[in-house]
Amino acid sequence: MTTETTSPLIEVRHLFKEFNNSRHRDLKVLCDINVSFNKGDVAFIVGPSGAGKSTFLRCLNRLEEASSGEILFEGVNILDKNVDIDRHRQKMGMVFQQFNLFPHLSVLSNLTIGPIKLQGLSQEEAEERAMKLLKRVRLEDRARSFPNQLSGGQKQRIAIARSLCMEPDVMLFDEPTSALDPEMVGEVLEVMRELAEDKMTMIVVTHEMAFAREVANRILFMADTNILEENDPENFFEHPQNERLKAFLEKMI
Amino acid sequence: MSIKENLYLNFIKDDRYMYLLSGLKNTLLITIVAVVVGILLGFLLAYIRSTHDKTGKLKIPNLIAHLYITVIRGTPMVLQLLIVYFVIFASVNIPKIIVAFIAFGLNSAAYVAEIIRAGIMSIDEGQFEAGASLGFSYTQTMLYFILPQAIKNVLPALGNEMIVLLKETSVAGYIAMDDLTRGADIIRSQTYSAFVPLLMAAAIYLFFVLIFDRLVKKLERNLKSSDH
Ligand SMILES: Nc1ncnc2c1ncn2[C@@H]1O[C@H](COP(=O)(O)OP(=O)(O)O)[C@@H](O)[C@H]1O
Ligand SMILES: [Mg+2]
Repeated sequence: MTTETTSPLIEVRHLFKEFNNSRHRDLKVLCDINVSFNKGDVAFIVGPSGAGKSTFLRCLNRLEEASSGEILFEGVNILDKNVDIDRHRQKMGMVFQQFNLFPHLSVLSNLTIGPIKLQGLSQEEAEERAMKLLKRVRLEDRARSFPNQLSGGQKQRIAIARSLCMEPDVMLFDEPTSALDPEMVGEVLEVMRELAEDKMTMIVVTHEMAFAREVANRILFMADTNILEENDPENFFEHPQNERLKAFLEKMI
Repeated sequence: MSIKENLYLNFIKDDRYMYLLSGLKNTLLITIVAVVVGILLGFLLAYIRSTHDKTGKLKIPNLIAHLYITVIRGTPMVLQLLIVYFVIFASVNIPKIIVAFIAFGLNSAAYVAEIIRAGIMSIDEGQFEAGASLGFSYTQTMLYFILPQAIKNVLPALGNEMIVLLKETSVAGYIAMDDLTRGADIIRSQTYSAFVPLLMAAAIYLFFVLIFDRLVKKLERNLKSSDH
């Protein structure tokens, strides 16, 4: 207890990202981002579209390659070229706006293929773990279904369960409810709320302001390539400092 | 000459039907082996090409694969066959059927590669990202998630490639390989009657093309009904 150091789970230092592809040259999307996330954090990132929120999240598990900077995940700089990123990604779940379930696999196999192929679990062990998670997202009766037989809300709950099945240390969410019909948003948020109550470390990009206020322990405002403000939910909404944030909140609420 | 006499002369007399039968055997054998070679090599080429397109890696292999596919698809099959036989294997004594396996297999690979590559490129980028985010390497993602979907999508096109190949093998006679077409032609040269043996060969090709076609359609239907 006394000697335990409280180093952050994720520490981002001087993170820069620019896109240099055929579409854009030298498009600066992230500019010197410095931020840390601790174990148990439920951090929400909000901000206008095009701010770089998705890019930031995707840099955390290197779906986008950062241009420069450091990202220490559990003490290891995962931007180091010699790092085996596939191993670290097992510890960072990601939930996408478009679900991205594997359509050729049953719901159960969507969950078990990772633990079986990457963590050496037996079929039975993996299915046991998967069934617990399906119960948790209240879809245990859909284990044998295929993704195209599910509604959007169900798909996203399965996608969350699929990530959880790898037993990650942190979950990244990129606008998990933005592609859903309004009546299905609630069921997904409910699952995320329970996840937060269970002390899962979460970094969530969303436009669901009321939900952010209710569930987050910290909220970050991103605009124009950087994090412009960060606060606890109460102060974030009641006492915004940055002018951009004030304007943003006025538009959102 | 009556039809009966004509048939007798061209097929029964001197067991001439054997030319067609052994020719058919070679035609089918070449087709099947070439398809297998084509699929194996085609996969490799498709993997190289789409990995380069997706990740920018494998620059040199991609250059070679691209050149290979361009040359094969840009030159006549007959010439490729002649080159394999008279140039590449000029000083080696190997059975003609092996030469045919290699020549048609190499040709088929180029077409199969483009079919499979198109299948891979048609899979949503989100599937690659989902695989990667779980911790699967690029190759594992290909193997477990991308290829199964891609192959399912292009199975009909692969079936058509087999049909095309079956007919293409009719140029095997250029290296004096006894295939179905050459068998019919030998009968013609012996009996001086062209109509019956050539028509018979055509009918046999058509028969097998229709069978392959039905199999492909059936496969397509099965895939659709099991479509998830
Ligand atoms: N692959 C890409 N290539 C070029 N530009 C991109 C790419 N992805 C995102 N961008 C650009 O980066 C900026 C930030 O995008 P994004 O991170 O998606 O913002 P947000 O998620 O906050 O809406 C936008 O201007 C977007 O057009
Ligand atoms: Mg976004």
